[in-house]
Amino acid sequence: MRTIKMLFVLSLLIFASFAGKVSFAKGELSADDIIAKSRFVFYYAGDDMKAKVLMELINKDGQKRIRELTMLRKNLGEGGNQKYFMYFHKPSDVKDTTFMVYKYPDRDDDRWLFIPSINLVKRIAANDKYSSFVGSDFTYEDVSGRKPDEDKHTLLRKETLNGKNCFVIESMPIGASEYTKRISWIDETNFLPLKEEFYDKQNELYRQFEAQEIKDINGILTATKRVMKNIKTGHRTEATFQEVEYNLGIGDDVFSERYLRRPPLEWIR
Amino acid sequence: MLCKLTEIITKFPKTTIALFLIITVFFAAQFPKMKIDTDPENMLEQKQADRIFYDKVKKEFGIHDLLVVGIVDEKGIFNQDTLKRIAKVTDDILKIKGVIIEDVVSLRTSDNVTSEGGTLVVKRFMEEVPQNQEEIENLKKALYGNPFFVDKIISRDGTATSIYIPIESKNQSYRISKEVEKILKKELAPEQKYYLAGLPVAEDTFGHEMFVQMGITAPLAGFFIMILLFLIFRMGIAVIPPMLDAMLSVIWTMGLLIGLGFTVHIMSSMIPIFLMPIALLDDIHILSGFFDRYPLIKDKRKTLILTMKDLYRPMFFTSITSAVGFGSLALADIPPVRVFGLFVAFGIMAAWLFTHTIVPAFIMLMNEEKLAAFLEKRQKRASILDKILKAFGRFSFHRSKAILLASPLVLVLGIIGIYQIHINDNPVKWFKPKHKIRIADDVMNKSFGGTYMAYLAAEGDKEDVIKRPEAMSYLDKLQSHLEGLKIVGKTSSVADIVKRINYVLHDENKSFNTVPDNQQEIGQYLFLFSMTGDPNDLDNFLDYSSQKANIWIQMKGGDNTQMREVEHSAYDFMKENAPPKDITIRWSGLTYINKVWQNLMVWGMLKAVLGSFVIVFLLMVLEFRSLRLGIISMLPLTIAIVSSYGLVGFAGKDYDMPIAVCGALALGMAIDFAIHYLQRFKAAYREFKDLEATNTFMAGEPYRAIMGNAIVISLGFLPLITSTLTPYVTVGTFFALLMVFSTLATLILLPAIMRLWGNSLFQKEVSK
Repeated sequence: MRTIKMLFVLSLLIFASFAGKVSFAKGELSADDIIAKSRFVFYYAGDDMKAKVLMELINKDGQKRIRELTMLRKNLGEGGNQKYFMYFHKPSDVKDTTFMVYKYPDRDDDRWLFIPSINLVKRIAANDKYSSFVGSDFTYEDVSGRKPDEDKHTLLRKETLNGKNCFVIESMPIGASEYTKRISWIDETNFLPLKEEFYDKQNELYRQFEAQEIKDINGILTATKRVMKNIKTGHRTEATFQEVEYNLGIGDDVFSERYLRRPPLEWIR
Repeated sequence: MLCKLTEIITKFPKTTIALFLIITVFFAAQFPKMKIDTDPENMLEQKQADRIFYDKVKKEFGIHDLLVVGIVDEKGIFNQDTLKRIAKVTDDILKIKGVIIEDVVSLRTSDNVTSEGGTLVVKRFMEEVPQNQEEIENLKKALYGNPFFVDKIISRDGTATSIYIPIESKNQSYRISKEVEKILKKELAPEQKYYLAGLPVAEDTFGHEMFVQMGITAPLAGFFIMILLFLIFRMGIAVIPPMLDAMLSVIWTMGLLIGLGFTVHIMSSMIPIFLMPIALLDDIHILSGFFDRYPLIKDKRKTLILTMKDLYRPMFFTSITSAVGFGSLALADIPPVRVFGLFVAFGIMAAWLFTHTIVPAFIMLMNEEKLAAFLEKRQKRASILDKILKAFGRFSFHRSKAILLASPLVLVLGIIGIYQIHINDNPVKWFKPKHKIRIADDVMNKSFGGTYMAYLAAEGDKEDVIKRPEAMSYLDKLQSHLEGLKIVGKTSSVADIVKRINYVLHDENKSFNTVPDNQQEIGQYLFLFSMTGDPNDLDNFLDYSSQKANIWIQMKGGDNTQMREVEHSAYDFMKENAPPKDITIRWSGLTYINKVWQNLMVWGMLKAVLGSFVIVFLLMVLEFRSLRLGIISMLPLTIAIVSSYGLVGFAGKDYDMPIAVCGALALGMAIDFAIHYLQRFKAAYREFKDLEATNTFMAGEPYRAIMGNAIVISLGFLPLITSTLTPYVTVGTFFALLMVFSTLATLILLPAIMRLWGNSLFQKEVSK
């Protein structure tokens, strides 16, 4: 009886180690590779993109502020520079405000804001690591990505999150940063980040990102509902991506001061 | 009925003592549950309108409790080494758990919005520590170029900077402030001084000092009273029954208070000190009567029963009047004062119970032989005090007319003094001037815009009202009016933010340092602002739907009178320049709250004094079964209280919480002297049937007993003077003064009245 038990345990052990080997063999990716791939699928999908984004900024008492904008994005090379154009529909007192960002992975963005009430385009220089994206819980970095070599990445483990197999990766910033540790759950099959946890200087969880809805848009998997929650203040932002389209052939000229003043109607409707 | 009690108790003294000690253990068992409360907001009822509104303002505008660190370097902070240290201090403070990282305001963490070569630049004042003189000059320029931060994180003379540290909850403030202090000690150079201010620090320190008071001052007072008792009786064992009475009443009262779930507040922490001297007054009468009679009767039980029989009535009336005096504080609208009054009243009645139980029981257990031997020795002595009292008795009797003429004069003088009284309080001044909290407070108020916070909350009747130009510019105008006042150091509001954005967007052109006259523009500026920092940067000033705005008013002083001045000035401004119709503006903030409860207190105390005056008067009429004697008994204490408060007025001392409370208390205590005097006079007159002879008798033993009581009461409060907290010092001094005045008033005025009207007052007694 005892020997049978022993044999059973032994066979289980062998099977387990074999199974582990198999999955490991399949994904012989390093943590750095996973993060790089994930950044690419999440921030660089398609050559260009257009989406109507509805952002709800919700405070801990449940009061809401709304940001409704059309976002255009154009990539200028794989993992390289990007250009963003945003047109605000709501709130009503900022209607016609436009916003343009040139994203450079290696340095702070260039940003321009058009303020319709005084008919002025203003260049804005601000740190994108901590400044808030239009008053939401997302920072500019959350919206447009962070260069992988700014952190040191370690694959902690693999686990399932909501039934999906994920890599769990710990990223420790190398230089100065708002967070001191980031943990990402990245879908093994499509490399989309499903969840991210940010830890602050007190080593406590303070922000949490979740991709709550993923849709296939012309073959490109897109996180269409993104929630960023500030655990400490109870404030959260829910961003819903509607009318997402890829590879529309948006011209480079759209991303210019001229169009900030006269938004390109064919794109923003 | 009480006779029966005495008979039973003197029969079973050991059982009685054991029984009471067991009950006492039960009360003492509550002590570990003690909770200290130092929150000044609790001076108001939970449901008080201003408090509810303040809570609402705090919640709506995300206002947290704040620790403020001031760093002062006499040589100026603008040099690389000092800035590096300040940066390191700030970085380390952010790592302390419980600190709200995003809301810390400092050189290191706050964003500056400027215009550089046509670009709107948002960056922290000191993201990097400046490496050379040029960078230092840039930092200087940035700081002094942004009025929002001058007087807030940088002093005008450049010698001081401050760090505002919001914390998650007040009950972590002690730990956090200790950690902050450790960092400051470690990182700063020796010539750099640091100061910790902010309400949570003050509260914590106060709570700590309160424990010290209860742990040191109360036992000290007890010891002091013990010595006084020994000097009165000159016999070690005689000290024990009154001390036992005092201790048990303190234990019962505090045990009940804690057991019922009440927190120990500044007021209730004074209960032991008040209760001790009051509790043993009746015991002094029992012991002195017992010692006088024992040598004649030579039987402890019989002596006791006889002594007690005479004392049941006066002891009951003196106790009940004191209890009423304290109990009248229940009429005040300030919960801690109410709790204090009611529990001291309970303690006094508990002491009355002990006087009838454990005190006679303990006397029964005294050694008969020693007692007899001692008392024989004692009887032979005559003291100087007796001679003084005799002379005193003659004086007030023979100068009766002069006294009766002088008394109304004293009263009028007192009333004039009362008109000079300055009603004012400031909880920070509850610390003595040399206390480090007071020093920090002084330095911070000298270098910066002021540490005393008040808020003006503007509320519109619908969304986005505040974004309207007339609303926004009204806030701006109101602020500039307030900043014109000397006591107001700085004001901040959403209007300042809008003005700053307008100014910066127009390349720092001064003519755009204004509120725009177009709502779209204001809305878009605020939107721009929200794109530059944290999502909650605006929260302190503007609510989520732009329906409400909050103006922060930093004042350099927290006296109620200063708050009142600012309040009236704002009111006058709003009367002349009415706010937009759909906006209501209301005061809030801690400095304002302090003013509110202080106001309530003045009227509450007046109510309490008048209430207890009426009740005590009715009790006196009942006690003497005479309206006239009732009125006469109230005269000495009226003169004593009026003239004491008159003295406060003339001395220029602020009428603050402790002074206010003393009045109601003094009333209940001071009447005791009149009760004893009149009671003894009545009895003696019945015997001598002659005023002069009665007066001579009164100047002997009765005066001695009254003086004994007065000395124990007034000297018993003396140890309070050593306290580090001013409310204790004030109560100690003022209460002693009140007691001395009442004793003098009783012993001077009553004999004079007796000489003139004694015959008619006590006619019945003679004819009996």
